[in-house]
Amino acid sequence: MVGARTQSEPPDTRADTTAPDDALLAVRAAEGDEDAFAVLVQRHAAALIRLATSLLGTGAEAEDAVQDAFLSAWRRLPEFQGRSSFGTWMYRIVTNRCLSVLRARKPVAPLEAAGDVPAAEHATSPARITEGRDAVRELREALDLLSAEQRACWVLRELDGRSYEFVADAVGISQEAVRARVFRARRRLTQALGAWR
Amino acid sequence: MTDRTDPSNSAFTHADDELLPCGRLVSRTWDDWEQQTDDAHLRSCPHCRDAVRGLDDLESVVRGLRAESADTSAYDAEPLTRRIMDVVRLELRPGRPLPLGEPAEDLWIMEAVAARALRAAAETVAGVRAGSCRLVDARVDGTDGTCDSGGVRLDIHAPVGVSLPELTDRVRARVWEAADRELGVVLASVDIRVTDLVAGTADDGQEGRTP
Amino acid sequence: MTAHHEITAHAKLVEEVATAVQAVPGVAFLRPGLADRLRSAPARPTPGTGGAPPAGVRMTRPDGEGPWHVEIHVVALRRARTLDVARLVRSAVEHRLDSLVPAQQTPRVTVTVTGLV
Repeated sequence: MVGARTQSEPPDTRADTTAPDDALLAVRAAEGDEDAFAVLVQRHAAALIRLATSLLGTGAEAEDAVQDAFLSAWRRLPEFQGRSSFGTWMYRIVTNRCLSVLRARKPVAPLEAAGDVPAAEHATSPARITEGRDAVRELREALDLLSAEQRACWVLRELDGRSYEFVADAVGISQEAVRARVFRARRRLTQALGAWR
Repeated sequence: MTDRTDPSNSAFTHADDELLPCGRLVSRTWDDWEQQTDDAHLRSCPHCRDAVRGLDDLESVVRGLRAESADTSAYDAEPLTRRIMDVVRLELRPGRPLPLGEPAEDLWIMEAVAARALRAAAETVAGVRAGSCRLVDARVDGTDGTCDSGGVRLDIHAPVGVSLPELTDRVRARVWEAADRELGVVLASVDIRVTDLVAGTADDGQEGRTP
Repeated sequence: MTAHHEITAHAKLVEEVATAVQAVPGVAFLRPGLADRLRSAPARPTPGTGGAPPAGVRMTRPDGEGPWHVEIHVVALRRARTLDVARLVRSAVEHRLDSLVPAQQTPRVTVTVTGLV
């Protein structure tokens, strides 16, 4: 009989064969299996922390955001039909949680309220933006000038390297809206970094 | 000559946009740069090249930011996982209770708890991964007025190369046994569905695991 | 005065029942289920006890002066047969109440296992 003794088969050396996949764990977690959920948390926490940190800029807030996101996921798992992967679903939840944090965090940046920075600076070439630690620090500060939506779209696109389509899905807006926000973010960042020389 | 009509009809007209002296919009120039469009104008026009240079420099700073952030890649998820699971384990999702023993005894077990035990029992069969496990309470679901006890619907992933009828028989037997010996839940039926075949060793280290 | 006394007596009974349940072999701990939390949220606190009512035990008299209805939410140990543990819990509650308030009718006891460890 074919299936008589499976132990005689040579062991498979691929990494994940002994671990249940995310989809299976998600189904079980949706039905109340806490241990299955714990495995999912362990698998995805590091990547989501990186995402939240790049969106929010600080580690402590990132941990809170990811923690809230996982708890929200636990409660909403019964609705998660597995249309996307669990990882993508968590990405979306974390992104939106961070968006809320960003919106609550800051008043409207002065550049927003006043409209465009006068164009005169750009008719001639701005001072060169240089690399180096100072520039990185200035970039971090310049990110605070962006609106929550601009920052999120820019971070996902530029730091996380996601496609416009992916960002649109994660944030829940159209691709055109993502492009517009990334463009505005780039404008503000190039202006801010160039102007501070 | 300036080419005003074309950019304004394009898909994205940005409030922040700017018309370069050569007649192109910054957005278009940047877009072409991002998509690495090969364009003679782009290569030769000093205004466009200036616009691109700003973006290029931004990109190099971004690379620096990425490099700094990458240092934190050795993240220990353990404390965060613990904090999350502390809350999760205290919360109870609304779930249905199932009868232990005879319904008249008024003794119950939450479905999720029983499901955990039955999944674990199924996974004592080599190579089996348990998925959805639902306990159907026949009385409540009203499927059969004469039937007192409920049944189990269990999905499993089975290892390739194994006789499925034999495997599902073994899984079924383990589930029956666990329901009776470990829990004391009376089952009318055990329905095993193989939802996927998984390549890999059948004698994985997960066999007989305790949570 | 009387009302306060009744509340205190009730709370003491609940504590006694909780203690009896904790002592049952196979019981890991008493635990509030979701239903308990929903019910206890709007309920008035019970004065006369050291603090919040013990989790996992709810005692009511749905029929006025009729028998108690005791609802237990408990987490059991895996190594014991769950049905047996639940039966022991029911017995323990019945015996405890019988010894404390023998004049009362046999209580109705509902036991729900909300976890296994």
